[in-house]
Amino acid sequence: MNYEFDWSSIPGALPFLWEGMKVSLEITVIAVIFGIVWGTLLAMMRLSPVKPLAMFAAGYVNLFRAIPLVMVLLWFFLIVPQVLRGAFNLDPNTDVRLTSAMIGFALFESAYYSEIIRAGIQSVPKGQVSAASALGMSYAQAMRLVVLPQAFRNMVPLLLTQAIVLFQDTSLVYVSALADFFGAAYKVGDRDGRLVELLLFAGAVYFVLCFSLSQVVRRLQKRMAMV
Amino acid sequence: MITIEKVSKHYGSFQVLTDCSTRVAKGEVVVVCGPSGSGKSTLIKCVNGLEPFQAGTITVNGVSVGDPKTNLSKLRSHVGMVFQHFELFPHMSITDNLTIAQEKVLGRNKDEARDKGLKLLDRVGLKAHAAKFPGQLSGGQQQRVAIARALAMDPICMLFDEPTSALDPEMINEVLDVMVELAQEGMTMMCVTHEMGFARKVANRVIFMDKGQIVEDDSKDAFFGAPRSERARQFLAKILQH
Repeated sequence: MNYEFDWSSIPGALPFLWEGMKVSLEITVIAVIFGIVWGTLLAMMRLSPVKPLAMFAAGYVNLFRAIPLVMVLLWFFLIVPQVLRGAFNLDPNTDVRLTSAMIGFALFESAYYSEIIRAGIQSVPKGQVSAASALGMSYAQAMRLVVLPQAFRNMVPLLLTQAIVLFQDTSLVYVSALADFFGAAYKVGDRDGRLVELLLFAGAVYFVLCFSLSQVVRRLQKRMAMV
Repeated sequence: MITIEKVSKHYGSFQVLTDCSTRVAKGEVVVVCGPSGSGKSTLIKCVNGLEPFQAGTITVNGVSVGDPKTNLSKLRSHVGMVFQHFELFPHMSITDNLTIAQEKVLGRNKDEARDKGLKLLDRVGLKAHAAKFPGQLSGGQQQRVAIARALAMDPICMLFDEPTSALDPEMINEVLDVMVELAQEGMTMMCVTHEMGFARKVANRVIFMDKGQIVEDDSKDAFFGAPRSERARQFLAKILQH
């Protein structure tokens, strides 16, 4: 079998693909920011002595970690648009797919981030909290000024690695027919009958981006190990 | 200043402290010693409420530590504590270590906190290290910074929890010197330590603990002269041998 590669449809499609890349990056950035903020709160709840809070956080994390991301995205694709339209009285034709994808990712990823952050908080020696308390700091102050800064320093490589995984996972939004980078490549390939070329190209782009980012993470890890 | 009355504490079914009572008067230096696992660190941590206890009362300057209505943070802000492993904040410079609680807890302004911190750093002989980070200092230096950090809060009394037991032998004296000076200035101090030289030099009283109980609570001379209990005699014989 002889397949004739024809890459000619790619150059013309670059602006469209770039639009898709922007969607992927947008989802990644929003989900990372929200995931870290909500994940931190979940981690603190899970470590708190207040039982109902700890149970809620544990339930949340276990629930999201036990279901496939693709399914979460589909649910949100089906449910969130209706809720948003109802809540804000939106025109039924308003496109809320991007918003629902972002909410789905953010809620899903925060479960993973909270586990990373919980481990990070626990990696800070207990004596640090004692020292902060002995100086008269409240629990919140001890967390904010003493524990979390050290925990985040230890966690930076893991948080970035999770961000890379998240970036790859954004390709799953194709289930909602949203034109992220992967979706855009697929559409162009389908239109021009050049699916193989476009998917190879998309794969190469994902690889270059993620591989170089993980190299950055590795360097960072080495530098931190030295300090 | 510190009154401990019939304090008991247990973890589950394990009894850590049994009926401990003692007091530390203003300006007094009390050394707490005893074999490891005797509950002496736990007792001193009960004084500022870092460890909760189930029975008995502890008051510091008239404020009850175990009372749920007590604002523990406020109480702790004027009870200095020095830990075995220093517990400086590794992500902050020495200066920030000295100023953070002054600013965030006592509400002092930046310059005031800085002046106070640097003055105390100078006092423990480490002024040149103000811009460094804890990881760049030796253990003895870190512990001196930790003492300065506690003093920066203008404490009414100081608690020391085995301040020299994590140090290399050649660094112990630099820390003890600071503590001796502090004692001679009239600071009220409760020190868990095995440094009997320090006890002889500045302690007013020595408390000996074993198995969660205060076995002996005596003036320094009585304790070193003729300990009343067999257990204290054995303990002293062991640690004074070398």
